[in-house]
Amino acid sequence: MVDVLERNRVRVAGVPAGRPMLFAHGFGCDQEMWRFVAPDFEVDHKVVLFDHVGSGKSDLSAYDPEKYGSLQGYADDVVEICRALDLSDVVFVGHSVSAMIGVLAYQRAPELFGALVMVGPSPRYVDDEGYVGGFTRSDILGLLDALDSNHLGWSTQMAPVIMGNPDRPELAAELTNSFCSTDPDIARQFARVTFLSDNRADLPTVAVPTLVLQCSADVIAPDPVGTYVHEHVPGSVLTHLAATGHCPNLSAPEETTAAIRAFLSG
Amino acid sequence: MDAASDHGPDAQGQLDRLLDEDPADLYENAPMGYLSTLPDGRIVKVNRTFCVWTGRPVEDVVGSRFQDLLSVGGRVFHETHLRPLLRMQGAVREIALDVVRIDGSLLPCLLNAVEVRDEDGAQVLVRATLFEATARRRYERELLAAQRAAEESEARSRTLQQVVSDLAAATTVGDVAKVIVERGRKALRARGAAVLLVDEPSDGAIETPELHTEGVDGLPPGLIDVLREAALGQLALELAQGVRSVPLNEQLRLRQPRLAATMADAGLSELVVVPVTADSRRLGVLVVGLGDGHGDLISLEEPGQTQGPPPAEVDLLWTLGRQAGQALERARLHEETARQAERAAFLLEAARMLAEAVDAEETVQRVAHLVVGRLADVCAVDLVDEHGMVRPTVRHRDPARQDLADELRERHLPQRGSPHPSVQALREGRTVWARSLSEEFLAAITHDARHLEVVRELGLVSMISVPFLSEGRPLGVLTLAADAQRGRFTEADVEVAEQLALQMGLVVGKAQRYELDMRTSHTLQANLLPGVPPEVPGLRTAVRYLAATHGVEVGGDFYDVVPLPGGQVALAVGDVVGHDITAAATMGQLTSVYRALLVDGPSPSATIDRLQASWPMLGLQRMATALFVTLDPASGQLAIASAGHLPPLLFSAGSAEFLPVRPSRMLGAPQAPAPATQWAGVLPAGGTLVLFTDGLVESRTADIDEGLELLRAAVSRAGTSDPDELCDRLLTELTGAHRADDIALLVLTRLP
Repeated sequence: MVDVLERNRVRVAGVPAGRPMLFAHGFGCDQEMWRFVAPDFEVDHKVVLFDHVGSGKSDLSAYDPEKYGSLQGYADDVVEICRALDLSDVVFVGHSVSAMIGVLAYQRAPELFGALVMVGPSPRYVDDEGYVGGFTRSDILGLLDALDSNHLGWSTQMAPVIMGNPDRPELAAELTNSFCSTDPDIARQFARVTFLSDNRADLPTVAVPTLVLQCSADVIAPDPVGTYVHEHVPGSVLTHLAATGHCPNLSAPEETTAAIRAFLSG
Repeated sequence: MDAASDHGPDAQGQLDRLLDEDPADLYENAPMGYLSTLPDGRIVKVNRTFCVWTGRPVEDVVGSRFQDLLSVGGRVFHETHLRPLLRMQGAVREIALDVVRIDGSLLPCLLNAVEVRDEDGAQVLVRATLFEATARRRYERELLAAQRAAEESEARSRTLQQVVSDLAAATTVGDVAKVIVERGRKALRARGAAVLLVDEPSDGAIETPELHTEGVDGLPPGLIDVLREAALGQLALELAQGVRSVPLNEQLRLRQPRLAATMADAGLSELVVVPVTADSRRLGVLVVGLGDGHGDLISLEEPGQTQGPPPAEVDLLWTLGRQAGQALERARLHEETARQAERAAFLLEAARMLAEAVDAEETVQRVAHLVVGRLADVCAVDLVDEHGMVRPTVRHRDPARQDLADELRERHLPQRGSPHPSVQALREGRTVWARSLSEEFLAAITHDARHLEVVRELGLVSMISVPFLSEGRPLGVLTLAADAQRGRFTEADVEVAEQLALQMGLVVGKAQRYELDMRTSHTLQANLLPGVPPEVPGLRTAVRYLAATHGVEVGGDFYDVVPLPGGQVALAVGDVVGHDITAAATMGQLTSVYRALLVDGPSPSATIDRLQASWPMLGLQRMATALFVTLDPASGQLAIASAGHLPPLLFSAGSAEFLPVRPSRMLGAPQAPAPATQWAGVLPAGGTLVLFTDGLVESRTADIDEGLELLRAAVSRAGTSDPDELCDRLLTELTGAHRADDIALLVLTRLP
């Protein structure tokens, strides 16, 4: 029996009886991405953080290229986490690719979820006929090259130090770039799955209150993409943030938090 | 210049001056790019080195966002990794990025950056240094490429190893096809694959051999047909050249619109066709269908710009094709051996079964039954009879399709002069093997639209018709047909069919001869026996004749009722020894001579004496028993003489008794010294006389006395003196379904 909580390095904080909020990090780093946002919700929510398998301090041995060859594999993990913690009426907060992982998890088990918050979502990154995703195929090839060039201090010898000693954080701290460091092969496949998926057809199936947070000048999820998501998720709310870039959870945590709170109390 | 001048006071002064650098100059001309940005990436300060490296004027650089100067990949990496890391750990080191020069070329760099924070920890500024890393990055890329190539090569070896081991375990052609389809599909991460095999393995003699699909997985059903059509039947020929790629592009859409449409419908972007060969023999092709992207992901190839598999994969596929070819040859040999054993067993079983059949009809039914179980899907047998051809059976392997076979038997007999293999085989007296059945051929061998429809519905692909003969005379034709599932007949199938037909010829020939003999005997006997006895005033008579139930045996049993001048009537019942046509003929002669003797009105004993005397002159070859009676219906006066025959039974006033007639010797037995004796008595009015042959009272299990007693009891019990009723009653009670011997029965009642 797989210990889901160990596998995904699940951390639970906040008010045990509060409404559960599940924060899912996007492509790149790990649950640390929520460090400036999550604490704010701990005062009145049950806050659950986790790492996708293959990212952060998750169990790398659980990485199955077949399973994680599509976003559904990640979505199934989200459902497992919710069930393992016996959560219901979950507010799923997904950053970047995790917004779509949330949609797929919702499809798999709609009874678990009460609301979706999508931070910088994109249902398809590659341009298509009549659709602007913001990227051409050669752009994605360039991104894969960029990933190949950056192993962020990863080495097989250091991997056990990073991954295997969650109780000795000082070891990991010595490593450069540790938050975003992972096995380059996994990073490469996660990038492919992230940037080459097409979830446009899944958007209309969402039938819970949904917030779309759109940043300014986001090269990864530009304005038209956020508008597309808003238009295709029935009854969704679109909020534009002044924050620039793709990670308002880091660059503008207060604004991000306020927008989510406004949505949840609205 | 001497050594001292190098390290003299002047030189020291110069070094001091150089080291006492102007900080501004150091910043501007440092051997690295240096820039500062605001949290959103906007560049607020940049040094000259960076501007020189990128060819961008300083006024253009300041004010633009750092990420906008990066390649797209770098931009994404900046958002997903660099900025988060800076926020989380305040610094990043050794990040590889490509900066876009003003001329569009890329400057590979390594970047270190630190975050400057205010007292609250908020980011105020980012300071970054960039080092050019062109050579280093090129070297790293080469290393990575080499590592990837090694990994892929290892994966290919693993695939190949797996294939070889899977193939070693495959013992049938079907297994081999399955392995190749599965592994070929996996090796290329393809949507689907199929193996097509040449019908007759060829070393090139046949220009365009026929192909059939041996195994398919994940490809739409019509694709293979469309592909074959597109190749104009030249698929195997063309592909013998090497691995070929058929990409779905404009050219294909233009030249092969159907193939292009089928591929597009199935989500395929490319077909790769791999020859399957063993040594130089072309055995078939492996067709692999590649889709857009791997699994559900979007393909990185621009739509309509598929590249074809890389050379290493082509090599792998080529090797796969050759491994498959060798495995196929092995499997075919293995299958052939197994098939030979099976055929031998089949023929043995057929021989045993044929030996048990009793007539031609049953023989062909049994053969058809056996054949559709093992050798073919449809089996028809045509027999030659005096009227032409009859078709006693058409069977289908699948009972659910037997109705089609029945229709063929009842309504669609092959017509004389038709090119139908069965007709041709009979006409030419040789095996006709239609290896494949073209649409034109089917049209030619059928006689109307419905017939063609039935044959089409059966989905037949191959036929064999073998004539079977007996002593050089054609008896009929055995026709086998195979459907697509079974596949076409092979030479070995033809051989088995011929051996089966040989056996059938012997058995059917024998059965037909036997049937002919039997029919002749029975016809003869029926013609020799007198018909319905004539009406005699004062008497009511009934006669019965039952032939033995099995075998060709016809008995020489007879009865006779002849009115004599003067109102008397002569009765006779007899049995010529033997059960064959000679017995029947002897009986015929005997009854004729007996009738001739009656002209003189001899007494029964005199009749016996005269027959005995003339026996050698008549040249009769068999002996016979007989009972001769004269009766005067008016008075009931009876005279009876027996030549070795069972006594008659008298039923009168509720009781039945055998009359004590002393038998003399059998007719045709060596001369006896004394003349025949005669019993005389009276048949009372209302009394009934029963004359019979031994078939009525003989049985294999009991002796004759018991049989006679059973008869007496049955007559006593019968409670009727109506001759017809009594005949029927006795036959029902005393004979079973199987009779070993013929029975002649004559019953008469003297009317009161």
